[in-house]
Amino acid sequence: MNREEIIKAVNSIFIERFEMDESELTPEKRIADDLQLDSLDIVDMIVGLQQRFKINLRENKEIRNVRTLDDVYNLFEQLIREHPEIAEKLQ
Amino acid sequence: MGKHRAVVTGTGTVSPMGNSSDALYAGLKAGRSGIRAMTEWHEYFGKNIAGAPVTLDPADTKKINRKIRRTMGNAALFAGLAALEAVEQSGLDQETLSGGRTGCVIGSTVGSASSMTEACIAEYENRRDDLSACHFFRLMSHSSSFNVADMLGINGPQLSTNSACASGLQALGTALELIQLGKADVVLAGGSDESTPLVASSFQLLYALAEEESPEPDKISRPFDAGREGLVCGEGAGVLVVEEYEHAKRRGAQILFEIVGYATNCSGWHVSHSDEKQIANCMRAALADAEIDASAVDYVSAHATGTKVGDKAEAGAIRSVLGGEVPVSSMKGHLGHTLGASGALELAAVYGMMRDGIILPTRNLEKVEDCAGILLPREIMERDIRVWVKNSIAFGGVNASLVCRKPI
Repeated sequence: MNREEIIKAVNSIFIERFEMDESELTPEKRIADDLQLDSLDIVDMIVGLQQRFKINLRENKEIRNVRTLDDVYNLFEQLIREHPEIAEKLQ
Repeated sequence: MGKHRAVVTGTGTVSPMGNSSDALYAGLKAGRSGIRAMTEWHEYFGKNIAGAPVTLDPADTKKINRKIRRTMGNAALFAGLAALEAVEQSGLDQETLSGGRTGCVIGSTVGSASSMTEACIAEYENRRDDLSACHFFRLMSHSSSFNVADMLGINGPQLSTNSACASGLQALGTALELIQLGKADVVLAGGSDESTPLVASSFQLLYALAEEESPEPDKISRPFDAGREGLVCGEGAGVLVVEEYEHAKRRGAQILFEIVGYATNCSGWHVSHSDEKQIANCMRAALADAEIDASAVDYVSAHATGTKVGDKAEAGAIRSVLGGEVPVSSMKGHLGHTLGASGALELAAVYGMMRDGIILPTRNLEKVEDCAGILLPREIMERDIRVWVKNSIAFGGVNASLVCRKPI
């Protein structure tokens, strides 16, 4: 799974769950301040990412520290690099 | 100091007949049915039983902001759309809605029956982590009430009268009392509910559901008829703007009708068996609360769902309180039983009847046997409706009666 595919998968959460337009979703966007996700939305973002990537993120401390969309892309790039089985399961 | 008067200045409905008060009344007046074969439930019942579902245009649901909509199950969504219609008709401004003197009282049998089913399935399949952070807010008992309050910025009293099929009428009675006591100037009040296979099967288990598969599903719901076989499950919402009389006059609002009396009681002995004596007591208490004599009642909008026991008990109660000369009809032949929504939703339709000076008959009523002794019109009857009674009867042995009158 390359970065482009990761971006597409992450963005699909924001488009489907939060009814955002794809054009809004640029890497520098801050999830709370720019995209206006509040605490409930951030939990749902995590739920959506869990379902999309078929992994458990409840205990992942780094997901709670993401600030921008780019942080989310980077986190998943790192997770998939460290755990290639995530991408394999998605094949 | 005397009681404040409470008037209705707006109505909103989402029903199997369409998603506005005008669509509801026009459908009823034309004698149409909101009931159809529920082919989508075939896998649950092994046949196409009748049902009365709401059809929503997804574009309409987007009238409600996503951050409010995310915590709404269908029942709250119906209530939200009904509330938007009622507020628009009433002409309430944001200052009034958010001034601390406007309340919201909306009740349902269950916050969201479909959301409850989804949660149970997730639990059973060990998929709790798949549930949205918003899921619990959809199924909480007061989901419709707090969601509507949040949607409109209402910050006065927020309550939820969860008494199954009496929820909506109890909400209106509570609104009346909040206004009479001076605790609010305006209350958005009503009921909402969803119909799901689980809800329908709760009636089926008790042999209270009309479960025959019929080529004419619109003929299945037959309140007061000798051949009635049970109720048809419907869904929807009715929300009314109940307002203190002087407040409504000061802002030049159109007064649709006045709510003048209310009572609620319970049988105290059986959870599901309608109690004729206590229904009659409830109606008498509501009339006493209104300080209106039984002889002044021009019409009764009955609860009558089409069950064998319930319709007979209600007919007996009406006969004992009002005699046999007051016209009585039920809308559930057209709409099915919209459960917790029914009291408020049907009251909104009675406003149309009052305005037009007509009484709409009970659809599918052909032959009266055990419900005899009350006046059950078979055709549209011209009548000046100056005072009317609306009944609701619910599981738990709960009864509610509201007395309303034409504006004076």
